[in-house]
Amino acid sequence: MSSTPAQTRARLIFDACELQYDFGHDHPFQARRLAALIDLLESSGLWHSGDERQSWPFRPASMEELSLIHLPEYISAVQQLSMPEENLGDPQQEQAKRAQLAREYGFAEGDTPAIAGMYEVAARIAGGTLVALSTVMGLEEGETGAPEERPLHIFHPAGGLHHAWAERASGFCIYNDIAVAIAHVLRSSEAKVLYIDFDAHHGDGVQRAFYDEPRVMTISLHETGRYLFPGTGDVLELGNGLGRGYSVNLPLAPFTEDDSYIEVMNALLPPLVMSFAPDVIISQHGCDTHAWDPLTHLELTTRSIQAQVRCAHRLAHTYCHGRWVALGGGGYDQFRVVPRVWSMLWAEMSEQALPEQLPEQWIERWRPAWEAVKEQEVLEQELAGKTSFFADFPTTFEDQADHFPPQPRRWSISLENRRMAAMLRQILVPSPIRKVFAAAQRQSPLTDLYDLLHPGGAQGEQSEVFETPKESILLRNFCPPSLVERLTVDSGLHAFARLPEREHQLLVDIARSPDCALTLAHTSAGAIVGEVTLTFGDDWWEGLENIYEVTIEVSSNWRELGLARKLLAFALELETLEDMILFAMGLSWHWDLEGMGITPRRYREMIRQLFSSQGFTEYATTEPNINLEPANILLVRIGKRVDQYVANRFLRRISSSPHLTGL
Amino acid sequence: MIVRDIMTTKLVTVEPDDTLGHAAQLLRQHQFHHLPVARTVKQAASQRNAYTMQKTLLFEGVLTAQDLEMAAAPVPHDSSREGLHRPWQEQRVVEVMRPTPMCVTPLTAVGAAAQLLVERGLQYLPVVDYTQSEAETQTILLGLLTRSDLLLAFAHSMGADKPGVDVHIPFTAGNMTPVAQALLLAAELHIYVHRVFAVHPAGGAAHTATIRLGTIHPAPLLARLHEAHIPYTFADPAREDDTYV
Repeated sequence: MSSTPAQTRARLIFDACELQYDFGHDHPFQARRLAALIDLLESSGLWHSGDERQSWPFRPASMEELSLIHLPEYISAVQQLSMPEENLGDPQQEQAKRAQLAREYGFAEGDTPAIAGMYEVAARIAGGTLVALSTVMGLEEGETGAPEERPLHIFHPAGGLHHAWAERASGFCIYNDIAVAIAHVLRSSEAKVLYIDFDAHHGDGVQRAFYDEPRVMTISLHETGRYLFPGTGDVLELGNGLGRGYSVNLPLAPFTEDDSYIEVMNALLPPLVMSFAPDVIISQHGCDTHAWDPLTHLELTTRSIQAQVRCAHRLAHTYCHGRWVALGGGGYDQFRVVPRVWSMLWAEMSEQALPEQLPEQWIERWRPAWEAVKEQEVLEQELAGKTSFFADFPTTFEDQADHFPPQPRRWSISLENRRMAAMLRQILVPSPIRKVFAAAQRQSPLTDLYDLLHPGGAQGEQSEVFETPKESILLRNFCPPSLVERLTVDSGLHAFARLPEREHQLLVDIARSPDCALTLAHTSAGAIVGEVTLTFGDDWWEGLENIYEVTIEVSSNWRELGLARKLLAFALELETLEDMILFAMGLSWHWDLEGMGITPRRYREMIRQLFSSQGFTEYATTEPNINLEPANILLVRIGKRVDQYVANRFLRRISSSPHLTGL
Repeated sequence: MIVRDIMTTKLVTVEPDDTLGHAAQLLRQHQFHHLPVARTVKQAASQRNAYTMQKTLLFEGVLTAQDLEMAAAPVPHDSSREGLHRPWQEQRVVEVMRPTPMCVTPLTAVGAAAQLLVERGLQYLPVVDYTQSEAETQTILLGLLTRSDLLLAFAHSMGADKPGVDVHIPFTAGNMTPVAQALLLAAELHIYVHRVFAVHPAGGAAHTATIRLGTIHPAPLLARLHEAHIPYTFADPAREDDTYV
């Protein structure tokens, strides 16, 4: 065995019958792109169809599995429309019936025409994704190998049909293989699933299927739906009911380029994955985000696409024990873009080095296919308003930067994207996690928060003992990372990172950050039962001085002992805090309403009382997150020695126009 | 569009004799702000020569969350009313509800109803029908038209519930020929059109019709529009100075 374990644990699922998923020659979605991909993989030596250590067997999804997501009427309509027309009874009646079915279930609108044999191939593709996800989760029925031999990463290039709805075909998608696979995992295990959608179109089908499901987080980075299909995917589509906060949409401005894309992706994905703590990642790698794609208005190159893949790979190893399924998806520059970028995906997944040049024979085989559609493609790009034409066939895997001239509105586009990402971070990522994954550089390049709070020089950390009926609790401020590392986290402390182990890592990271002051309450056995963080106000508060955000959490096992009040008082005892403006934001979606068994209104009142014991008062504000829910609350304490001018600027800011300022 | 097409008909109502405690429970449970008050009567209705009993809601008025709050507010102590005081939960709906506010019928035009809601600052309109029975006019409650119903109807008429793309076509006031031409082209290319929606902008801006197409791939239509010199907007301009393609 010469190959490393990592190499043998990545698989690529492909079967020649998947090439039947093809809507014909005049249609933008054709199977030729998959044929070109497989040819490129084989001719560059990255994958061999015969090699058992690189592929994985799969089966079609059963009726029963499809019906986890799709309505039985829809499934049987697909079956009927899939049958060849000739061998059926009265032709005229039959035709009318077919037309009726097609109208009812979304096949009459032109995008997704009914094709013969589509039931078999769509069920086959759904089965591929289902088997891939079950396999990396260790759920698959027959193949029960040892856990350490099980594939960790699987790439299924024919999958990723994210537009299909429960009751209709849409946007080239018949069965939603992603939703079917996720639903199968949800019912067979307790796992939480993270879905990341990199396609230029919003992943509406998958989002719809799990809009109220807190065990599935769907994250979609797509071009804004202002003009692009399917029109949904607004930043405020956050989920419903218990699933509130588990549907994430980052709509990007048309003509977004690499730098902006990579910036917002890195600002958003790691903190979200950290706070969700998934067991497996399933990612859809539609490459219609590429600048040459004729259907969208994004301007990415292989640099961003490489960054997406690396990001997903890294996150899977950091948070999910490596469990990762990658899927194909959109991608309508069939010969110049799709084969290259999905080969890159496979090379990254299987940890193989990517050659620089595309194989000569491959170019010879596929260049004529591109020449034949070139004119059409250029025309469509022009109609989409794209300007970065490169009217030649690429010869390297990676794009050459000089083939992509900068976009004229680059600055305002990046600004728009940055605002969107900042808003999502504010809404969805708890403040302590946001500090650990800081989007921008820190505010005070010269001094850290500790020095700012101790102008007279170091005084060391303070500690105090708090007697509770249960046992005595130690309170400490400015906890150094080494102390936090030695402590453990109580099982009831999970509001921010959702799992005690992750919460522990998060606290260590907060302690390390020079921009955060961490106050802890722990038992004599070393279990952390409460925390208060004090950090610079960011994003919306940018540009204001001396403004700090306070967050507090107490373990659900240690409530109603007066610990929160005591801990907060202890953390805010510092004399220097009188020179500062402190604020706390109560956002109802971070509240442990279930654990407390109370309504949001009562929780709000509890928070108000807790903070008012430390001199905080409630302020009305136009801050966008506070405004999302009536239960949300902004509490402010303006220190006694705060300059009137500074205080006035702050008061103006909290009632200023509701846009993110100072970015 | 008339009120019947968009009104809410799955109603949660209270009887005039129900307690406020029960009403508060309903308001909280459904997160409503108002409850129609109606008496449920069973009336014999003849259908195909067979008599069946049919439930009818006789409209009495509306109880709002505000009415409840007023009733629940602590009253100043008044010794003359000693002994009469009951906790608010035990009071009857009929004691605090509002008399019949403004109503509409199912055949009212949606535009007129919307105008009424905005002009009078109302949150909802009861939808009623009047029948003559034993020389007495009865008001029968058929549904409720709320602001949410109107907003949903608006979103649907823009096609927001259907996956698709929007193409904007400017036209001069009173002459929608370019829009009609675009629709003809779409029909020719077998591109599905979900909705057409034209706004009358304030402040003299250009009139624009929005065509919502049920397709992921509008390029063939855009090509034809381009050929036919029909102006359109699709996607933000690539440059600051581009307005229309």
